[in-house]
Amino acid sequence: MRSASMTAVALALSLALGAARADDADALAHATAVRLAVGVCGTCHGPHGVSQLPKYPRLAGQNAAYLTAQLKAFRGQTRGDPDAISYMWGMAGNLEDGTIDALAQYYSSQTAAGGRGGGDAALIARGKEIYDKGVEQVGVPACAACHGPDAHGMADFPRLAGQHQQYILKQLNSFQSNMRKVAVMHGVAQGLKTEEMTAVAAYLESQP
Amino acid sequence: MNRSRWTPALLAKALLPALLLLSASAAQAVPSFARQTGMACEACHTVWPELTHFGRMFKASGYVIDNLKQVKGVTPQREEILELAGLPPLSLMVQASYTSTAKAQPDSSGKGEAQNGTVAFPQQVSLFYAGKIAPHLGAFLQLTYGYDSGTIGIDNTDIRFADLKILPGDESLVYGLSLNNNPTVQDLWNTTPAFGFPYAATVAAPGIPYASQIDGTRGQDVAGLTAYAFWNESLYGEVGVYRSAKQGTGTGPLDSTTPGGVIAGSAPYWRVAYEQNWGRNSLEAGMYGATFKVYPDAGSGYGQPLTGPTDRYQDVAEDVQYEFIGDLHIFTIEATHIHENQSLDASFAINLAANTSNSLNTSRAYATYYYKRKIGGTAGVFSTTGSVDATLAPNSPDTKGWIAELNYLPWLNTKFSLQYTNYSKYSGLSNNYDGNGRNASDNNTLYLLAWLSY
Repeated sequence: MRSASMTAVALALSLALGAARADDADALAHATAVRLAVGVCGTCHGPHGVSQLPKYPRLAGQNAAYLTAQLKAFRGQTRGDPDAISYMWGMAGNLEDGTIDALAQYYSSQTAAGGRGGGDAALIARGKEIYDKGVEQVGVPACAACHGPDAHGMADFPRLAGQHQQYILKQLNSFQSNMRKVAVMHGVAQGLKTEEMTAVAAYLESQP
Repeated sequence: MNRSRWTPALLAKALLPALLLLSASAAQAVPSFARQTGMACEACHTVWPELTHFGRMFKASGYVIDNLKQVKGVTPQREEILELAGLPPLSLMVQASYTSTAKAQPDSSGKGEAQNGTVAFPQQVSLFYAGKIAPHLGAFLQLTYGYDSGTIGIDNTDIRFADLKILPGDESLVYGLSLNNNPTVQDLWNTTPAFGFPYAATVAAPGIPYASQIDGTRGQDVAGLTAYAFWNESLYGEVGVYRSAKQGTGTGPLDSTTPGGVIAGSAPYWRVAYEQNWGRNSLEAGMYGATFKVYPDAGSGYGQPLTGPTDRYQDVAEDVQYEFIGDLHIFTIEATHIHENQSLDASFAINLAANTSNSLNTSRAYATYYYKRKIGGTAGVFSTTGSVDATLAPNSPDTKGWIAELNYLPWLNTKFSLQYTNYSKYSGLSNNYDGNGRNASDNNTLYLLAWLSY
């Protein structure tokens, strides 16, 4: 009995130590991620992931699973839109899995930028219609089906609300040309005309 | 970039001050940074060597952002004692050029005219070590062969220590030290002299004959240690000192035989700037300056011991930069104005200056446009004005004109330039500025340049 309880104590202790080590590792990965986010990523993606320059996507409040998948796609050089190649293939080339996870956690826990006011009301209304209902005659499904009615996305499906209009438009073009190879989005984007993409992107930028 | 220097005694003795060209460097673009970061040139440059905001942060961070596999050393206590890139960050730069002036320059021995249409192949070849040395420590180190000197020498050098402090609210404070050999070579904006336009210039044509101390005169002639801080990627401050560190003067201490004017003690340097970024725009405004106490440079045979009275050059400058960086269109403006107060009591006392005090004002403003980072150009005006000094600048140092440059970059690391410089006034006069009938416009220069970096 005595030895059993000792064993239990030892087991609990080693589990706790193991947990502590895991906590240490997490803390280290988190510290590394914050340092990277503030010192490197933030220079383009903005403080707390709210970028000003429309060339660089806003990362604040983005879904962690999506961010992790993208960073791994940059690292593995499987995401091939022009800016991914010129910037992110290098930037993410040497990131470890733990750092990628911690970066994804950091940005997903930041407060999203919120929608941008102003803009062309008619264009935004047209964008909302496409987002909510798709374009039936050419078989484009509703964006909301995957990205959610509020465009906050879920898991692998990215948050789009509050994203730069120009960035979304560029991605849709990259899906259409298949430079950024995502089968579902290639199908969707092929059915969209430029003015429809512009409208959807304008709507999404305006959304909180 | 090649600028002439205002070294009072040399000017006093020289008939053609314009030919006293400082063998300074061209500005750089360094592919080893691209290799180290894994990012294309466009991350750090609009079109090299002009920096983007990210390029400025990369420089301020000590050139250490690194995405290469590292060779590491670790102690049993897990202390990291080595972190070295698998391959050294080396780059090569080659320039070949053709220069033609509106009228052939006088033969240097006085027998008629020199040949017009100078081919420089190479004009310059540079080897760079540019990148991380160790965590927090990076270098931009350039060795240059110049066809004018026919030798290989140390060129622009900037060795940095930098670190990052994360402030409450995740604001950044990047701070560091720079050990460098050219005042403003460590600066982050392309308004200041070392990395200002024109980014490359011919050495085969007369340049602007008068320049303030901070305006290239002291390039590769000093050693400077500066400390800087960049808060929240917007507010920048830097202070430091420069001391004479002349190359090629032998092993002994500097003395009366040293050419080029030796700085007494150390010259203080300072810089403040504020940068605001919004949308695709970036705006910077700032000031910089330095104060040099210099022993009068009497030149060979007239040497003065490096003790006693000195001349004092106080440089205060303002600068402003605007950048619009679109996917297709890039538009930038860079301007600076440098005011120099010269107290020349020491030179005056030995008849190297006719006045005890002079002033020199330098202004430059340039606008640049590029389409798709492939085709573009720069146009702008330059002006130098100052005191009439019977010994140093008998007709005044006034030199004015405009410059226009067209560039074509088939690849991001290859640049072909056509540059034209037009002078309306040279060394104080438009006509017959040298007393031998040469006009300012005779120095108008056509310059073709092939510039490869790899």
